[in-house]
Amino acid sequence: MKKLLTFGVMILLAATFDACKKKGTGPYAGIEGDYVSGTPLPDRIEGANFFGSNVTRGQFSPVYFAYDSSAISDSESGKIQRVASAMKSMSNTLIIAGFTDERGTEEYNRGLGEKRAQAVRDALISQGVSGGRIQTVSFGEEMPADPGGGESAWAMNRRAEFGVVK
Amino acid sequence: MKRVTILLFLFASALHGQEAPTITIRKGETINVGLQTLGGSEGAASTKVLQNDLDLSGWFSISPPERASYIISGSSAGGTLQGQVTDQRGSVVLQKSYSGGPRLAAHRFADDIVETLTGHKGIASSRIAFVSTRSGRKEIYTADYDGANVRQLTHDNSISVAPALAPNGSKLAYTGYQSGYADIYLIDLGSGARSRIIKFPGTNSGAAFSPNGGQIACTLSKDGNPELYVIGAGGGGARRLTSTRGVESSPTWSPDGSQIIYSSDERGSPQLFRIGAGGGSGQLIPTGHNYCTEPSWSPDGRRVAFTARTGGFSIAVKDLQSGATNLVASGEDPVWGADSRHIIFSSGSSLVLLDVPTGRSVPIVTGLGKVTEPSWSR
Repeated sequence: MKKLLTFGVMILLAATFDACKKKGTGPYAGIEGDYVSGTPLPDRIEGANFFGSNVTRGQFSPVYFAYDSSAISDSESGKIQRVASAMKSMSNTLIIAGFTDERGTEEYNRGLGEKRAQAVRDALISQGVSGGRIQTVSFGEEMPADPGGGESAWAMNRRAEFGVVK
Repeated sequence: MKRVTILLFLFASALHGQEAPTITIRKGETINVGLQTLGGSEGAASTKVLQNDLDLSGWFSISPPERASYIISGSSAGGTLQGQVTDQRGSVVLQKSYSGGPRLAAHRFADDIVETLTGHKGIASSRIAFVSTRSGRKEIYTADYDGANVRQLTHDNSISVAPALAPNGSKLAYTGYQSGYADIYLIDLGSGARSRIIKFPGTNSGAAFSPNGGQIACTLSKDGNPELYVIGAGGGGARRLTSTRGVESSPTWSPDGSQIIYSSDERGSPQLFRIGAGGGSGQLIPTGHNYCTEPSWSPDGRRVAFTARTGGFSIAVKDLQSGATNLVASGEDPVWGADSRHIIFSSGSSLVLLDVPTGRSVPIVTGLGKVTEPSWSR
């Protein structure tokens, strides 16, 4: 009897928990009640921009993305770990630039590129890097790594690149 | 031989046997107007512009005077056009003077003719802004709605994109990368003065003026995710509207400024949503397409045009009252004109003026490299 009661209470608690999640309270309830936590960006670093002479590009491998996606795949997560480790032994700030391939529409691609940069930023934050050290920028479908068409070129363009501010 | 004779006989009988039926050729529901060449030293130039405007408007068929319901006449000289419209009995229904030079005066007269005879707003005096790669970089250009008077507005030598004309055409906002980030700039088109008005951390893009020009809706990523915000037109007072895991982009305002339609990939692929301009939760707008971006709300509030991915890209129009969605052209990034009848969109190498009811499409800007992201004043 006791076991049944405990079980019943657990079910009840679980149901309540589930219902709470779905209700979505507070000022940040999204469309389906999902609570969304985004880490606000810090102020920009004066005089530093991704293509500036005081930013080192190419020190880390770009993170690549699947079509129409900003999810970081398992095969790419190792790159982020390496950046996180490197960040722990230096005090530099980072600018992450997000890009897309040419196939979507322009303004959506600017947003998708930004989402990719911020997904990488979020991953670095979850690995212990302070969000205050990381800026993001999106170039959308501009400046492809490979200006050709076709699947292999497009795959090279769906990326987030790292720029280390000197 | 016999068969042919019979056929010929039957044919002849048909011709002579009955009264030939009256065939009424209807070009949509156009009004027949007669256009007399305008007098005056600038009459020829103005007439050419006027005729093109009347033709493109879609409301009229230019007819011989005996079949015309209205006669248009006037004269154009010294930058001023005197215009007149009379009905079949010779009564004057419109008589006015227009300034601005032979072109602009003719455009203004054309718009007055449209409004007087149809009750609808005209598009002939409107201006467009767009992105062109002509110079080797993406820069903002402006032009008249018919493609005349193309002018390069920015010389940033960077990436200048996402132009947005205020509805009254007095100012333009755009996304510029001169700082190394995507920021929103505002240009006063009268004085030419430019300022960077929205420069939060991260990416600032997709400016859209509210109907009275007092506010700008846009996408900002400053809080850690690209979301929809409303900001005062001078750049102050940013207020967040959405909080989702997805990318919100391309807001477009309802005619009374109370609602915004935008694209969000909150559910996976980008779809259209509607939200109150004061905040609330976004409501999905079903369209039957699984990739919908770049919405434009018609000035009469009845329809939203958008880009749908259909293999390539198509211009789609959803009737917000009936719920029906139709594909109207191949291309991207539609924007409605003041008459809620025409759309301008990009086909890549040209901007196209589309008359939605008839499907007639006319390229208006070509030969400027890749031309994209049109904006249209009202």
